[in-house]
Amino acid sequence: MSDIVVPARPRSASPSGWWGMAAFVATEATLFAVLVGTYAYLRFQTVQWPPDGIAAPKVTLPIVLALVLAATSVPMALASAAARRGLARRASALAFAALVVQSVYFGIAVHQFASDLDRFTPQQDAYASIYYTLLGADHAHVAVGLLLNAWLLLRLATGLTRYRVVAVQAIAFYWHAVNVLTLLVTACVLSAAL
Amino acid sequence: MRALGGAVRRAVRTAAGQEFLQWFGLLGAPLAWTVQLVLGFGVTEARCDAGSAQWGIGLDTWEISLMAAAGTIVLLAEASAVGLYLLTRDVDYEGPPPLGRRRFFVTASSLGNVLFLAAILLSGLAAVHHTPCQQS
Amino acid sequence: MTTVTAPADERVGRLELIWEERPGVLGWLTTVDHKRIGLLYLFATLAFFLAGGVEALLIRTQLAQPDSHVVSPGTFNELFTTHGVTMIFLAVIPMQIGAFGNYLVPLMIGARDMAFPRLNALSFWLFLASGCFIYAGVFMGLAPNAGWFDYVPLALREYSPGLNVDFYALGLIFNGVSSIAAAINLVVTIFKNRAPGMSLNRMPLFCFAILATSFSLLFALPPLTIDLVFLELQRLAGFHFFDVAHGGDPLLWQHLFWLFGHPEVYIIILPAFGIATSIIPTFARRKMIAFPLVALAELLVAFIGFGVWAHHMFAVGLPTIAVVFFAAASMMVVVPSTIQVFAWTLTVTMGRPQFKAPLLFIGGFIVFFVLGGLSGITFAAIPIDQATTDTYYVVAHFHFIIFGAAVFPLLGGMFYWFPKVTGRLYHEGLAQAGFWLTFVGTAATFFPMHVVGLLGMTRRIYTYSDDDGWSAYNLVETIGGYVLAAGLVLIALNLVWSRLRGAPSGRDPFSGGTLEWVTPSPPPHYNFAVIPRVSSPYPNWDAEDRAQDVRNLDRGARVFDDGHEAVASTVKDGYLDDVLEMPSESPWPIVVAACVTVLFVLVLTSHFLAATAFAGLAALALAAWHWQEPE
Repeated sequence: MSDIVVPARPRSASPSGWWGMAAFVATEATLFAVLVGTYAYLRFQTVQWPPDGIAAPKVTLPIVLALVLAATSVPMALASAAARRGLARRASALAFAALVVQSVYFGIAVHQFASDLDRFTPQQDAYASIYYTLLGADHAHVAVGLLLNAWLLLRLATGLTRYRVVAVQAIAFYWHAVNVLTLLVTACVLSAAL
Repeated sequence: MRALGGAVRRAVRTAAGQEFLQWFGLLGAPLAWTVQLVLGFGVTEARCDAGSAQWGIGLDTWEISLMAAAGTIVLLAEASAVGLYLLTRDVDYEGPPPLGRRRFFVTASSLGNVLFLAAILLSGLAAVHHTPCQQS
Repeated sequence: MTTVTAPADERVGRLELIWEERPGVLGWLTTVDHKRIGLLYLFATLAFFLAGGVEALLIRTQLAQPDSHVVSPGTFNELFTTHGVTMIFLAVIPMQIGAFGNYLVPLMIGARDMAFPRLNALSFWLFLASGCFIYAGVFMGLAPNAGWFDYVPLALREYSPGLNVDFYALGLIFNGVSSIAAAINLVVTIFKNRAPGMSLNRMPLFCFAILATSFSLLFALPPLTIDLVFLELQRLAGFHFFDVAHGGDPLLWQHLFWLFGHPEVYIIILPAFGIATSIIPTFARRKMIAFPLVALAELLVAFIGFGVWAHHMFAVGLPTIAVVFFAAASMMVVVPSTIQVFAWTLTVTMGRPQFKAPLLFIGGFIVFFVLGGLSGITFAAIPIDQATTDTYYVVAHFHFIIFGAAVFPLLGGMFYWFPKVTGRLYHEGLAQAGFWLTFVGTAATFFPMHVVGLLGMTRRIYTYSDDDGWSAYNLVETIGGYVLAAGLVLIALNLVWSRLRGAPSGRDPFSGGTLEWVTPSPPPHYNFAVIPRVSSPYPNWDAEDRAQDVRNLDRGARVFDDGHEAVASTVKDGYLDDVLEMPSESPWPIVVAACVTVLFVLVLTSHFLAATAFAGLAALALAAWHWQEPE
């Protein structure tokens, strides 16, 4: 299977698939902006934050995790560039490396989420409700990203086509968005430790 | 000063310079207004809500600063739009891109920016004028 | 497009073969043709419009006389709630973007289809399913009943224990997914699929309106979705967002709802602006005056509309220093609309107007929009708003706008584009009669509401006493409602009769300026045999470009018949960028929609594990969909 695909019709601007993902990212980013806004709104209303009975969040592990996830933007960007140059195997390898790190992140994050639930439940008060909803939304978006990367690896296994090159570009964009949003969500949630 | 003026004049005759003038002239004011509204309203919420009222938020300082900063950006955006409008005097807004497209946008945004300045000034002055946290 | 030579004929024949779709019901279920999807949306939204209309007449019949008991109080709550939800989410908006937007945007920009044809189909099936989901609740006696804005604490479990509110919340989240899909498709299509030469300054005003609407949907739906998710988490899983006792706030619901709700009303009106700005130049026989100002005004209304939301909350006790931001923005948002009104009226008066039915409907639109806008400005003044909140004065305002100013252009648009879609002419005399009946009915129904609202009649009341002094006004309003309904029936009969017996219309019966008038009536599956040359916003009036198109067809230039091909251009300046292979019919959109429907039903009935399974199935169907690559 030849690795290089010479596009029959060279393209200079971002393709429709990329713009579609950009529009989707815009709407999902608004979703998170609303969640963060709700967090601030509820915080302003509450004298004791977190309320009595709930410990302030630990800071170190979440920051490290978020930075590690954000770092996977590098292999995803490189995968996108490789795909545009027709290098299917390199794109595949980079996406695989990203997927491994992202999966480890997800595993640890879900474990943290579960152990949080042992200490306090969302049914306790508004702080807990927004805490779990915000984190849950972020983890759900990471989970979707994992599925997208797995799909990518499946399709790249049989080589590159113009359609798949757009897919790599779009999915890389998705990951850049999720990574930035995760940093924001982490900062928001950890602000309770201030 | 004169050298700066010369550099600016050269810059606005380049394609990149004109693109900047057009997009800043179109988007600068809406974005400044958005930030002033979100932060300005947010600050009033923080000042008046039960939990955050004791944070010692200087409402007037915030509102005046936001109004000044946002207002300045709008004025600069308007200068960009009007500037490019004058530079494209001989261009038809139905004409071929990029000049026609630039003319089209600055014709409209030169007027639109005024609205954002009005909203910024009205809201900033009113926020400073009224007694904090008195219910309307 | 007249095909005069043998090579031209051959190319057209090849395009017909490449672009044809399966016949019969299966063809409609798997279609990805934007025109078919537009028609599907039209019929579905007309059905919901009828349902909403029946609800309205029942409300008016209950209110016709004092101390009335035509329906029970509980049913009345269901009626006004479902009427609002139906008209906004299931009738007017999907008709504008799903029917008119879908059908017309690719034609007006010289494209062969939308950017994502299968996503287009998905957005329709999701829309239809979401409407059926909500109406399943209606037919089960569990119709939404807490008002179209469903305020808490009324909507919480303690005060609304039944599934009514869950049908509302889950139904609207479901509906929102469809709208996001449609909005993404329209934005990307308008950005990327314009005919080369159509730079942004040469794009039709209808497309600017749809672009503004689509951007608004992308940014307005998330607050609603989050609000509804919070509500369901609190109702079904005991979370705390809206109850003060556990650190929540009922006003949180209102802030998030109106952050969506105000842009929503601009989403309702913007496509109507687009239809008006399409009809006026055609029947005034001149270009729109101040074209750049009108285009930007459409974008500005949408943008500023995001900053006015708390004017729906002037009476809830927010601090003055907070509400002034929204009062200021509410005053400013009027200006772009005013600029448009001046542009429209000047274009007509400075043109050579032909007062055919479409232009009459736009005239009615302008009358109701100005009156509705004037009552709207009064709400920007906080003291006036506080006196009139929750009275019929508000009901009068928004019906003048939603019915008078959003529906009238839809009716005018149905007549205007009827020849393009069907290939036949409508009956002009009957259409004008329909207009006058509808106009008089609208005025009679909604004008007295201003007065009776200022006299103190509150919204959503089930009945009233004769001593209140509102009886005569209500009776007039109800009679007006039936006259209005008669007008709509006359319009519907005209359209049906004309579809069956109307005279052939030809390609361009009204000498319209935009590209949809270049194609045959109805347009073939591939829309344009030649991708048109564009050098102005009114390409059909540029004879030179149209002559060049004929030569191009003969020479085989800009025909793109090597496969199922469409063209992509650059966003700002419309330079040719790429030739795309487009997907053909597919069963996967309807399959994905079916899985998502079952998912929502399972969430409604609290079977969360099973719901997750169906989410998985939907994901598998999406994988199958993308397995089949167009090239």
